[in-house]
Amino acid sequence: MSFDYFMSVLKPMLTGAQMTLLLFFITIVLSIPLGFLVMLAQKSAFKPLAWLAHTFVYVMRGTPLLLQLIVVCFGLPVIPGIGEYLVLDRFTAAGIAFVLNYAAYFAEIFRGGVLSIDKGQYEAAQVLGFNKFQTLTRIVIPQMFRIALPALANESITLMKDTALLYAVAVPELLHYAQTAVNRDLNFFPFVIAGVIYLLLTAVLTFIFKLLEKKFSFE
Amino acid sequence: MAIIEIDRLKKSFGQNEVLKSITFSVEKNEVVAVIGPSGSGKSTMLRSLVHLEKIDGGSIVIDGEYLAKDGHYPKAKDIRAITAKTGMVFQHFNLFPHLTVQENLEMAPRLVKKQEKQALRQKSSELLQKVGLSDKAEAMPNSLSGGQKQRVAIARALMMNPELLLFDEPTSALDPELTGEVLKVMKDLAREDMTMIVVTHEMAFAREVADRVVFMADGEIVEAGTPEEIFDNPQHERTKAFLSKNYK
Repeated sequence: MSFDYFMSVLKPMLTGAQMTLLLFFITIVLSIPLGFLVMLAQKSAFKPLAWLAHTFVYVMRGTPLLLQLIVVCFGLPVIPGIGEYLVLDRFTAAGIAFVLNYAAYFAEIFRGGVLSIDKGQYEAAQVLGFNKFQTLTRIVIPQMFRIALPALANESITLMKDTALLYAVAVPELLHYAQTAVNRDLNFFPFVIAGVIYLLLTAVLTFIFKLLEKKFSFE
Repeated sequence: MAIIEIDRLKKSFGQNEVLKSITFSVEKNEVVAVIGPSGSGKSTMLRSLVHLEKIDGGSIVIDGEYLAKDGHYPKAKDIRAITAKTGMVFQHFNLFPHLTVQENLEMAPRLVKKQEKQALRQKSSELLQKVGLSDKAEAMPNSLSGGQKQRVAIARALMMNPELLLFDEPTSALDPELTGEVLKVMKDLAREDMTMIVVTHEMAFAREVADRVVFMADGEIVEAGTPEEIFDNPQHERTKAFLSKNYK
């Protein structure tokens, strides 16, 4: 196999990787804060809000992301009456599905983090005169974040790979270009390149999260 | 003048009445040791003084202000203002694990009292020196021994200039060889006339340091008096039985 062939396959795949990365970053940047808000809503004393948040998490975790993707892309536009206003371009629709889905997972990760904070932390904060907001921002969130880091890393790596689901709604991303090249040339090699690119991307993520864990270590 | 007055304090957890009708007061500069068997309500009583437990009946007056009057509490903001005069040291230290020792000391006065950074740094250094941990300012709590953690916790409470300091079994979670260093810091505080209520199982400490000893059992104060009265000449059978098991 020539170097020229390798480059001719790699080039479109790198274009596809941009789409992969774009979806990844949009999802991370939006779903982490949204997940945090969902977690707060789950813990809310206002029961309808808590119930709504729990239902949201249940639905988003209880159905396949692929199905959610299809619903947002192709399901919403066929709702009688309002469907015509819900026609989104494929990437936007996919982005919405990803953000909602991952927000549900991040909400659960954060909830686990908050649950594992010792009751004594709240008591110490109270006795020292912290109000609720100060306790949340200075004591709970930093500890929750640290406790949640390994799970966040895991989920982020899953997200990087899940971007391949864009393939199902015909948004051209990394795997799409690999598949195109494989079909055209009857050569399996582009899939190998795709695998290596995913590995490189997740390696970077792993490295970043290791750094974060070290930086925010309790030791 | 009494800094804290407790009048007919009542508290139940469900059907279980843990405080039956506690009445006592603590004078300024006094050191009171509260002793008694587990489950006697000592810790619940102490925790109710800083609003970590909500009482069902009775009154608590701190420095002339009602924290609770006949079982009713004022607004959250007023509660915070009243309990701000009281510091607390916990059995399990409850240091903030994500902050250095220095930050543990400085965060509350900076956020709550809006004190200046430079003054706080000086004060935290002084207090760390006082508890013998000057070299640990930058350390994370998890790297400290239990005795060191508890000394940091005491320094953290002192940063808020409390009028009254509560200790909830401060040495119970420590290895026996580490209790001495914590008790020494507490003795120093008593010598400096800090007002203290200490729930403890350290009978020797109670005898040596306390001005008054309160013996509690089954949610009641059975007997209170000077250390000599309680340890050498207990009047009640329950006190005698407890001391014969716990104090030789």
